[in-house]
Amino acid sequence: MNFVATFHTHLSAMLTCGSLQKAGVTAKLAPVPRVLSSSCGTCVFYGGAEPHLETMDRDVEAVYRREETGDYTCLFRGEE
Amino acid sequence: MEKESFFKRYGLLILTGIVVGGAAVLLTKFGNPANMGFCIACFLRDIAGALNFQRAGFDAEVGTGIVQYIRPEIIGLVLGATLLAVIRKEFRPKGGSSPMVRFVIAVFVMIGALVFLGCPLRMVIRIGGGDLNAVVGLVGFVIGILIGIVFLKRGFSLKRAYRQSMAEGLAFPALMAALLVLVAVAPSFIIFSKSGPGSQHAPLLLALIVAAVVGVLAQRSRLCMVGGIRDAVLFKDFRLISAFLAIIVTVMVGNLLVGNGLTFSFLEQPVAHNEALWNLLGMVLVGWGSVLLGGCPLRQLILAGEGNTDSAVTVTGFIVGAAVAHNFGLASSATDIGTGPVALAVIGGFVVLAVISVANMAKMEG
Repeated sequence: MNFVATFHTHLSAMLTCGSLQKAGVTAKLAPVPRVLSSSCGTCVFYGGAEPHLETMDRDVEAVYRREETGDYTCLFRGEE
Repeated sequence: MEKESFFKRYGLLILTGIVVGGAAVLLTKFGNPANMGFCIACFLRDIAGALNFQRAGFDAEVGTGIVQYIRPEIIGLVLGATLLAVIRKEFRPKGGSSPMVRFVIAVFVMIGALVFLGCPLRMVIRIGGGDLNAVVGLVGFVIGILIGIVFLKRGFSLKRAYRQSMAEGLAFPALMAALLVLVAVAPSFIIFSKSGPGSQHAPLLLALIVAAVVGVLAQRSRLCMVGGIRDAVLFKDFRLISAFLAIIVTVMVGNLLVGNGLTFSFLEQPVAHNEALWNLLGMVLVGWGSVLLGGCPLRQLILAGEGNTDSAVTVTGFIVGAAVAHNFGLASSATDIGTGPVALAVIGGFVVLAVISVANMAKMEG
């Protein structure tokens, strides 16, 4: 899974994970990687060729692409 | 995704667990009460006492209660987290995620903790010290977390937090700095116990430095007693729980090495009673409430240190909860549960948490 989306709430992550799965995208909930945030929230790892930004819940914090080097590239940042 | 090495995945958390366990043993060796080297609930309760919000066990002869002291450990934890968060540009003031609801939950979490006699961190330290009553508490803690998870899965949310001003985020760390001045200067209007657990404490500077190191590591590793079990159940992720286990092992080994004592029994454990039902129910309240809050009391201190004002309000709720618990006879003593309406408070706490859990559930599709 090459994308990861972080959220302001666990509920928002859960709703987005459900929407992605409904759209046929492989997605799973997980703790936010420490490198992305000091908060202990929930993120969604998901696959596919594009980041499906339109599927994100309104409380999305950011969407990243996971590079082959293991680094994350920010593709989108929501309202703080 | 490439597989993380064991060291990368668990190294920092296990190190943090070892340092926290070692710190608890060390601070006990240097004066903190036995099996209470580190306890967020007890220490916030002591701070409430020092500010005269409660004076449990007041002894007219010496003129103080038994749990009144400004614990530098709390100050060190917060300021350690603040320092690292500022250095790493992770100090981001935010808040507004149902602060009043969090305050109410925090009051009941503290009441539950003082019925059991310890926060989740002290529960783990007590287990490491051989106190089997804490194993009963752990069962209750897990039950409480599982109840909280049921509501999380059904759409419970306290809504999102928003960015706030730097002044708002710095208010809580500044309050901690003010407490540091008060404990160092010790003016007469601040009360320090002359007997009981409040009178037993490690030297100020040692406690402050050790706690600051723990605060730095806890900020970096996101150590959380509740998060460990929650993540294991929700995501089959065992990172946080590895620190939990490291604390228990370190405290056991440490107590044996420095001669603090390690006796496996239910009876005559330091600052602990053996009323199993109340040990269990107290920690159910703590586990459930902490899942709703998004972290254990230690984690709330660290988040408050990072500028999270919802966590700062939560810690304020803990302090008020401690005063309520002692002023109304809800807190247990080393020999028995409190003399006040303990059942009413704990059962009432479950009702309040149930109402909050249901009232804050979003409508889920499907």
